[in-house]
Amino acid sequence: MAILPRHNPTFRPLHHARLSHHNSLPARIYCSTTTTPAKPSRDQIIKRPTIVPAALVQTAATVSTRPVLNDPSLQSTWSHRVWVASGCTTVLISLSKSLTTAVDSHIWIEPILAGFIGYVLADLGSGIYHWGIDNYGDSETPFFGKQIEAFQGHHKWPWTITRRQFANNLHALARAVTFTVLPLDLICNDNAVLHGFVGVCSGCIMFSQQFHAWAHCTKSKLPAAVVALQDAGILVSRSQHAAHHRSPYNNNYCIVSGVWNEILDNSKFFEAMEMILFFKLGVRPRSWTEPNSDWTEETESASLISEL
Amino acid sequence: MSSFSLPTNHTLPSLLHYHTPKATLSQNPSLLPKSSQSQFLGLKLSNSSPLSIPSSSYVKGSIVAKITEGSLAPAFTLKDQDGKTVSLSKFKGKPVVVYFYPADETPGCTKQACAFRDSYEKFKKAGAEVIGISGDDPSSHKAFKQKYKLPFTLLSDEGNRVRKEWGVPADLFGALPGRQTYVLDKNGVVRLVYNNQFQPEKHIDETLKFLQSA
Repeated sequence: MAILPRHNPTFRPLHHARLSHHNSLPARIYCSTTTTPAKPSRDQIIKRPTIVPAALVQTAATVSTRPVLNDPSLQSTWSHRVWVASGCTTVLISLSKSLTTAVDSHIWIEPILAGFIGYVLADLGSGIYHWGIDNYGDSETPFFGKQIEAFQGHHKWPWTITRRQFANNLHALARAVTFTVLPLDLICNDNAVLHGFVGVCSGCIMFSQQFHAWAHCTKSKLPAAVVALQDAGILVSRSQHAAHHRSPYNNNYCIVSGVWNEILDNSKFFEAMEMILFFKLGVRPRSWTEPNSDWTEETESASLISEL
Repeated sequence: MSSFSLPTNHTLPSLLHYHTPKATLSQNPSLLPKSSQSQFLGLKLSNSSPLSIPSSSYVKGSIVAKITEGSLAPAFTLKDQDGKTVSLSKFKGKPVVVYFYPADETPGCTKQACAFRDSYEKFKKAGAEVIGISGDDPSSHKAFKQKYKLPFTLLSDEGNRVRKEWGVPADLFGALPGRQTYVLDKNGVVRLVYNNQFQPEKHIDETLKFLQSA
């Protein structure tokens, strides 16, 4: 991961946070709004949104004091849907290979266990990646710049993730999963354990953005099954993830199940990593500085949501 | 993750050369392999950590000497946050809490400094002075002290010479300067050594408890 000395990121209009655990391509960041922030004096927001595939229409930023909730950039395009379909296909191929090989070989425990390990490690990976992107680099960082910017935008306007359509939300991770899992689907055959692990791990990573979005929803707006999974600790809970969006913004980084959050936070894992990077490379993580507009949620926007 | 009097069991001891013979005759038996001991005939080496099992690099012949309970704290003269030289001897005649911390403006060190600040009156009431030492330069200390309104002295141990001399163990396989606090009595003898990297506020609790019970 590129780690650069921290300097003030260039603010852009709201970008949606993305996680790309196995991202082998630059992540595409979409503006979830095209408006300027409520208080222009606080931030130097560049009103023009970042344009991602050229075919997509990026609505020019309107000078407004509040985000537009039905902004087209929150909606899914066919490109998004294609990537999500391809990501799902590669994951399903991996899972079906695992299943068929398991049936042929009469083994069950090992592939299931491998799948479970994949689920558990996906959560750990999501946390470490999220920690890195949240704390280091900025919009100019090679390869990761747009994601870093998006994560910062997500911290400013966390609620917009709940307004983003499904494929729009997942497509960046789906693309990363496609490029990572497809080779494994093609090369590795007859390996129920490997495909069990890969299928579940990549599936969890791809859907982590959906789990993330659900963690930002209010309970009343969620399907009962999702609430049940959150309450059971199978998906990251709303309360756990809410803690990540509160000062000092240095905990609860994992967003698949959140099972690693307590261990990582209590063991001061990230604090130790931050200290090591500080002493070895001289870089300070963003979470060490006083909360500023990089992190602070725009509460005016939140109150707008409640009016809808 | 904390320990009294001994380097914490999750750190490896720093590798030092013992060069202040009048300090430290530890009562604890040395755990060093014979090859190291034979290089310092006549000097009893103190390495009392129960878990300082020599690693392969450790056994190469470096000598560990550290200040432990009962040691006479070695004298030092360092610059404070205003650039003035301060000697440890200046504080003789009253108990002193000397705390070594990794760096200014890091989360743990800030918590620790603020905790010492918030309990400073209690330390004063116990008759003790507080001194913080890190490898940062005086200007860093000055900014840190001003920002958090710290009422005590911060000393610049540039090059970490005093840290090494006192044998403050590093953490995470040497990647991180250790966080260790010494309570010296009015004669300059170490009465308590407390080490805890990731629970910095405990340094205040433990040292205050010790001073108040003494």
